[in-house]
Amino acid sequence: MNAASIRNFTSQNAIYIVLVLLIVGIAVYDPSFIAITTLRDILLQSSTRAIIALGMAFILITGGTDLSAGRIVGLTAVISASMLQMDTYANRFFPDLGHLNMFIPIILAIIAGLLVGLLNGFIVAKLNVPPFIATLGTMVGVYGLNSLYFDLPPNSSQPIGGLREDFTNLGTGYIGVDGTYSVPYIVIIAIVVALIVWVIFNKTQLGKNMYAIGGNIQAANVSGIRVSRNIMYIYMIAGALYGLAGVLEAARTGGATNNYGNMYELDAIAACVVGGVSTAGGIGTVPGVMAGVVIFGVINYGLTFIGISPYYQLIIKGLIIVAAVAFDIRKYVAKK
Amino acid sequence: MKKTKMTAIVLASVLAVGALAGCGGNNEGTNNAGNTGTNAGTNAGTNAGDSAELPKVGVAIYKFDDTFMTGVRNALKDAAAGKAEVDIVDSQNSQPTQNDKVDLFLNKGYKALAINAVDRTAAGVLIDKAKAKDVPIVFLNREPMADDMNKWDKVYYVGAKAEESGTISGQLIVDYWKANPKADKNGDGKLQYVMLKGEPGHQDAELRTKFSVKAVEDAGIPVEKLAEDTAMWDRVKGQEKMAAFLASQGDKIEAVFANNDDMALGAVEALKAAGYFTGDKFMPVVGVDATAPAIQALQDGTLLGTVLNDAKNQGKATLELAAVLAKGETPTKENTGYDLTDGKYVWIAYKKITKDNIADAQ
Repeated sequence: MNAASIRNFTSQNAIYIVLVLLIVGIAVYDPSFIAITTLRDILLQSSTRAIIALGMAFILITGGTDLSAGRIVGLTAVISASMLQMDTYANRFFPDLGHLNMFIPIILAIIAGLLVGLLNGFIVAKLNVPPFIATLGTMVGVYGLNSLYFDLPPNSSQPIGGLREDFTNLGTGYIGVDGTYSVPYIVIIAIVVALIVWVIFNKTQLGKNMYAIGGNIQAANVSGIRVSRNIMYIYMIAGALYGLAGVLEAARTGGATNNYGNMYELDAIAACVVGGVSTAGGIGTVPGVMAGVVIFGVINYGLTFIGISPYYQLIIKGLIIVAAVAFDIRKYVAKK
Repeated sequence: MKKTKMTAIVLASVLAVGALAGCGGNNEGTNNAGNTGTNAGTNAGTNAGDSAELPKVGVAIYKFDDTFMTGVRNALKDAAAGKAEVDIVDSQNSQPTQNDKVDLFLNKGYKALAINAVDRTAAGVLIDKAKAKDVPIVFLNREPMADDMNKWDKVYYVGAKAEESGTISGQLIVDYWKANPKADKNGDGKLQYVMLKGEPGHQDAELRTKFSVKAVEDAGIPVEKLAEDTAMWDRVKGQEKMAAFLASQGDKIEAVFANNDDMALGAVEALKAAGYFTGDKFMPVVGVDATAPAIQALQDGTLLGTVLNDAKNQGKATLELAAVLAKGETPTKENTGYDLTDGKYVWIAYKKITKDNIADAQ
């Protein structure tokens, strides 16, 4: 009995156990890892990744996938940055643009992300193209579109810099007394987004439909769920979240190029599956996704902190991803 | 039973991950003199000599799989012996990743930073971060905007002037022209040339194109451009474009400029196919970068010359500056061995490389 309950506990909480083991392991190696500044840095670095992973979770739970996430991040980073440069900056993207309210470019960028999401949803739901292929197409196309925009004269493919302070403050500012004991705005934004997503997953019809579609699409259809409409909503929400993440990446780094966000979709998928989202669809929770993101945050930060070669870090990441999916498949098989 | 087995496998994977983590750490840690469990905060980066005394410098390279920056990185590491303990990290060609690494360096209380920015416009934010913790910062190879450089007095830059690589490749042709009266094939006193450009809009491509021709004109030799096209830094495309130039211009061409060695070597292949480099049929071709295949071509006598971007001195100068700054001193010519322009720029000169001084590039 006892052994069985331990086994059950391990299987239900594997992700959190791995997280604790990682932190303990790093802390044993170098106790100075345990510090408020470390926690703050890891949360800060996980924030935009969390927003992207939450968007990805919507799609994975419906049984789909989204390869265009990273390129949408790049598109929206460039769009927002292009309209939020300092008035006095020498190489402005739009030399004659006035001083806009900061939220106008931000909202435009998020809408751009949402529209690409809508396009993804349309291709998947209405044209019945498999999500992998549909989003592969938009991934390539969006990068082309972004590069065209980025290449517009007078910018001509130069990195967009000189961003306004009110905007960069969104990415680098914080609430609190000093740099140490403070909460960065970007962390607060990620937490708010996570709460909203949790509500959608658990308290709305859309959330219920999402799980139903991912669990068994035929059954969802028969039970009267308007599958294609719901899928389109879900891709739109995901696109808008990537859009927000792109805006925050530009604000956080104080610049943007068309290469921003490259391959972020793979990080997001990895964080989701490590966090227990099933690639077969129908399964996944917000706390799981957040834990998955934080695990990669701890790996990125902690292993560099104790000076492990980046090449070993990649091997460790690879092992964790495969172990997590092996675990996920096990749960799936056990259910049958 | 089956469940137990699976759990065992998963646990084994987790353990394997843990073991690897330990193994990686030990591997790096063995370099560290006196690295014990109680030695909290000891950095496991590369170092030599007595690590306890040396100031720590955080180095972020834009990406590890760039050949040139790997040369700079290795030179920087070598120069660190006895001067500083360096922790070199890979920014994976992503500015957000680099910002994360800088946060980490600052959290670990490093005394100076050396940053090879992924995106030069992002330097402003990095400077703000460093300034908040009063940690001096040396940028290398990718020059921040002047506005950003002036934000704080503890910001430095080590790099080369892109236009100089163009000027030197022009001088290579000038040297050849002056030494060989037959270089002026049609005897009109003008240099007829073709240009293989890198990626359009790329700063290096534009500057090299402009300044290589300017160097020839400045030497008093009139020029005539027969053809110019982009070969995207690529050897295969260089060969294709050169073949097309030969088809349309034939023997009118008196010199070939290429913005980099790969394209120059492509052009050499096309020229060989057209019968050049046998007997006394020669064409002066110049490139930039001094790559290993280009050095081989110099030895073979097919490539006339190339221009070396001096990785060794870029790495060494960066380390010298960072080490001095980490000790809380102000860098000068005396304590770094390098001239500082405007008190904050160290310009590393490009080197002219021909058959006669191949050793300088090796």
